[in-house]
Amino acid sequence: MQLTGKRRLDMIKGHERYFKRFGLYRILEHQANALAFLVLTVTGLAQKFHTSGWAEWIVLSLGGIDTVRVIHRTTGFIFVIFLFEHISVAAYGLLFRRWDPSIIIHKKDFTDVIDNLKYYFGITDSPARCNRYDYKQKFEYWGVVVGGMLMIVTGLTLWFPTELFRLLPFLPGQIIPAAKAAHSNEALLAILVIVTWHIYNSIFSPEVFPLDTTIFTGKISEERIIHEHPLEYERITGIKLTHTPAKDKDNQSDTLQ
Amino acid sequence: MQYRYILFAFLIFFSLISSGDAYQPTEEVQICLNCHNDKSLSTTFKSGERLSLFVDDHSLRDSVHSELSCSNCHSDFSVETHPQRAFKTARSYKVSASKLCTNCHAPNKGIHAKMLNAVKVLVCTDCHGAHSVKKPTKENSCISCHRFSLSMTFADGKSISIHIDEADIQKSVHSKLRCYDCHFGFSAEEHPERKFKTRRNITLLNSEGCRRCHFDKYTKTLESIHYDILSQGNLNAPVCVDCHGGHSIFSGRKEKLLNARRCERCHSKIYEAYSQSVHGSALVSEHNQDVPVCSDCHRAHDIIDPRTVDFRNMTPGMCGNCHANEELMSKYGLSTAVLKSYLEDFHGVTVTFYRKQKNAVRHIAVCTDCHGIHDITKTKGSDSAVLKSKLLSRCQKCHPNAAENFPDAWLSHYEPTFKRAPLVYAINLIYKIFIPFMLIGLILQILLHIWRYAVNR
Repeated sequence: MQLTGKRRLDMIKGHERYFKRFGLYRILEHQANALAFLVLTVTGLAQKFHTSGWAEWIVLSLGGIDTVRVIHRTTGFIFVIFLFEHISVAAYGLLFRRWDPSIIIHKKDFTDVIDNLKYYFGITDSPARCNRYDYKQKFEYWGVVVGGMLMIVTGLTLWFPTELFRLLPFLPGQIIPAAKAAHSNEALLAILVIVTWHIYNSIFSPEVFPLDTTIFTGKISEERIIHEHPLEYERITGIKLTHTPAKDKDNQSDTLQ
Repeated sequence: MQYRYILFAFLIFFSLISSGDAYQPTEEVQICLNCHNDKSLSTTFKSGERLSLFVDDHSLRDSVHSELSCSNCHSDFSVETHPQRAFKTARSYKVSASKLCTNCHAPNKGIHAKMLNAVKVLVCTDCHGAHSVKKPTKENSCISCHRFSLSMTFADGKSISIHIDEADIQKSVHSKLRCYDCHFGFSAEEHPERKFKTRRNITLLNSEGCRRCHFDKYTKTLESIHYDILSQGNLNAPVCVDCHGGHSIFSGRKEKLLNARRCERCHSKIYEAYSQSVHGSALVSEHNQDVPVCSDCHRAHDIIDPRTVDFRNMTPGMCGNCHANEELMSKYGLSTAVLKSYLEDFHGVTVTFYRKQKNAVRHIAVCTDCHGIHDITKTKGSDSAVLKSKLLSRCQKCHPNAAENFPDAWLSHYEPTFKRAPLVYAINLIYKIFIPFMLIGLILQILLHIWRYAVNR
């Protein structure tokens, strides 16, 4: 009889095994970025929605609009350093330590989305089988990196408008209001993605509820790695997880959830 | 019917008795009047002036002196004697005749005593009349003297006219008030003598009287820059009557041009600039009552120092009073979006918060920094080019490094439309579509995920 995922899980119950997923550096990096993001969100939203009561309360509590701008810009500057450091470390790792560029988006990520949608709609019986990072995580990661770069460029434009025109005199004046529009819209988009998608996936999703602790402990349980990153599990352990054919309806209870 | 006749007879009887009681001229009076009731009787002075010698029987009868005989006042004359006298002018005759009043009425203190010394200026009969002498009534007691060209001398040697034009008072908003409502201590009976060093002192004192009725306005002036200057010892700082006038007080709200011209007295250069501005020229040449005058922005009574940050930060609100008023602006085809577009921009946000913070010291660009203060011009037509050409130098006041295209960063109060600012318009449009698209997509995925999980359980 073939060993399905469900049975495999039953077998290891009682002596739970964990896999190391993140080192201390990545954990701290996430926490630092989360904190910067939070500060930028609070001070940024208060500026974007300056006419509403809560925004006014935040601004006045923090000591006035000038203070809020200083906090926002300082944190923005720290965020620039974080991004620069992240890219530098990634470049170093990829070039000199032959890291596996597992976060790069592949064609498979797009087919995974379709596979998962099929699974959600009940067309297939099992979800997409993902590697170290699934497409949801890649989406969030690249959202932060690309969106962050956009925020940095537009943010610096707004911070140093006169210097920008001295440096690049060919730019039209319209670039400033355009940067403002892009900065505040992109920020709103990023915040909305974080509060819906990221918070759902790491807190409210039934698979991780009440909290996905991986980013705090650096560990992931064997149960979850098999479930969420089966290809990585296979790569690490060399164990081939057998996949139940989708056609057999009676076997549905045996499939991996 | 018979009662009526009896009643009528009684009425006639009593009216005969009462009229007989009221006036019984002495024999002397009757003799004098034999000639002096001739209206054509007159005398000619050396100066050529003619004086009528007619004495009205009725005015004598109504006078307080009705019981006196002619010779009581005209002591040289009697039934027997009628001396021939010669006076240079009618005035010198009056002065001489009035001296006779002091035989009975000899005040040795108060305003009358003082006037007797300076008897040539004003004599008794000028105020009280000659044959028709009456008790001064409360209503006309002040004006009966002050309608003459009297003057008042101060300790510094300067003198002013204390002549009051009744017509001025009739035009004034205070026409119903009586003199002593403002001039305390004076009445029909009382006329205390007062000594002032300068004319200014009496003006300052009189202004204090306004607070009795206008206490709210008075207390507001205590917060004004004018009062600050006054309390620092500069007595030329304007007080109530300097702006509102003394006896000819007008309504500042109804007479906008007059209102502005009062400020001009001290702030002439500013008035000149204002009168050429888009607002001032409309007021001066068209008598347009919609335009703001000085007091609309600076306020009338609690005028604060316009150089303060507080005043600067109030500017958008002041301009917005009219420029965000849809009804008013539509009359002139002006956009009301100017205030909103300013308030949503960097400068507007800062100023709005500064007004609430109270600790703001930085100067942030407000309406007047680009449009001018008193010399505000039109933003359309030929003036718009002038405004635009000045813009860079205005930006450079706060942003010294501003380059040539820096002013274009400000979209001139226009909404970013496809034509005006295509880049801004496009970015806003893309996000307007993209944000809901992304969000709905993610939420649908979350719901699908939950649904699948629930089904599988």
